[in-house]
Amino acid sequence: MTWISNLFSRYWRNFHFVSVLLLTVILIYNNTAINGFVSQVAVSAFNYPFFMVNNFFDGLVEVSEKNESLQAALVEASVRLSMLEEARLENNRLRAVLGFEPPPGYSLIPAKVISVTGDKIPVSAVINRGSKDSIFIDQAIINQAGLIGRVISVTYDFATVQLLTDPTNRVAARVAESREMGIVKYNISEGMILDNFPIQGTINRGDVILSSGLGGVYPSGLRVGTVSAVEYPEEEPFCNVTLTPAVNFNSIEELFILQLRPL
Amino acid sequence: MRFIPYFLYLLLIGMHQVIWRDMTSIYGAAVNLAALMVLGVALYKSEVIACWFGFAAGIVLAAGFPNVMGWHALTLAALGLAAYHVKERLNLESFYTKLLLMFVGILLHNILASVIQSDRYFYQLWLNALAGAIYTTVIAQIFFLFKEGVVTAKKIKSIF
Repeated sequence: MTWISNLFSRYWRNFHFVSVLLLTVILIYNNTAINGFVSQVAVSAFNYPFFMVNNFFDGLVEVSEKNESLQAALVEASVRLSMLEEARLENNRLRAVLGFEPPPGYSLIPAKVISVTGDKIPVSAVINRGSKDSIFIDQAIINQAGLIGRVISVTYDFATVQLLTDPTNRVAARVAESREMGIVKYNISEGMILDNFPIQGTINRGDVILSSGLGGVYPSGLRVGTVSAVEYPEEEPFCNVTLTPAVNFNSIEELFILQLRPL
Repeated sequence: MRFIPYFLYLLLIGMHQVIWRDMTSIYGAAVNLAALMVLGVALYKSEVIACWFGFAAGIVLAAGFPNVMGWHALTLAALGLAAYHVKERLNLESFYTKLLLMFVGILLHNILASVIQSDRYFYQLWLNALAGAIYTTVIAQIFFLFKEGVVTAKKIKSIF
């Protein structure tokens, strides 16, 4: 037995080399079963765990990228949705305007409000019509609800409208039923009022107030507002009449310029 | 217990093949970590260990290619053995001669591995083999700087 031990210790180095060589020759011979088995073991032990880790992080990156693109798509969709909602509302408004007839002898020029100015309430507005559209100062502005105001300045492309809510604006008006007259104006404290209406005149809550056409600016028959309250103060020649404006001045968007039709 | 470090080296080679190789490659030049580790083992361990480690590294390197697994195992085992004998004969002590041995060994293995795979044009193989050898030698230099104590944690701390 000693000679075997001696032989092994003398040639142990060569034994290793021969073993390695033998194994590589077996692998080079490319037996499908052996190579497949060795490959499977090597992949399972040394590659597969890292494949899993790699796939996990790849998945995270993919999910993150997808998340980003979905967020961008969501923003785009919500912007598109709000634009569609805006278009729907505009469509509703325009449908309401459809068939709206001007007073006799006038034609309507449609316009859009570009901007409004005013501190607590809007007092003037800029519209997208100007002298190029034959707009001139003192033309009346209306919408389907009633009188809005008048043009006070014009440029080539734009015009500025003084709204009825401007305290310096006055409209000669009359009560639709009784035909009695007064002057409509706007106070910041009281709102829209019918001034100079005699105490002995006939006026009731709910009466419609129309423009009388006497001032020369506004044609007659345009709806200005409705009587919301009437007070009869003692020892005063005029009564206090408060009106609810026919137009909601906080939401004017589409309006019409009244143009005198040529004879 | 004495096989655990080699097992970890093999795991490192597997991890490099799966995760890092593509991430760290520059214009097709990749770090040849298998050859680098076999040469490292040959420089610091015995010839039997270098030979067996080269064989095992070849199998891990070609785990996904069973038809060329034997050739890779033979190439790396021979590389380990050859590197050990070159080191013994020339009695390498200098930092740069070790690097030179690394560079030549890796270049040789890159060329042989390219020939074994033989799936690309020759000039492209040569270019990638040379670039890959230079890239791997740079990594080897960093390894040797730490291994030989030229750069230590204490020295790095002292800079800051």
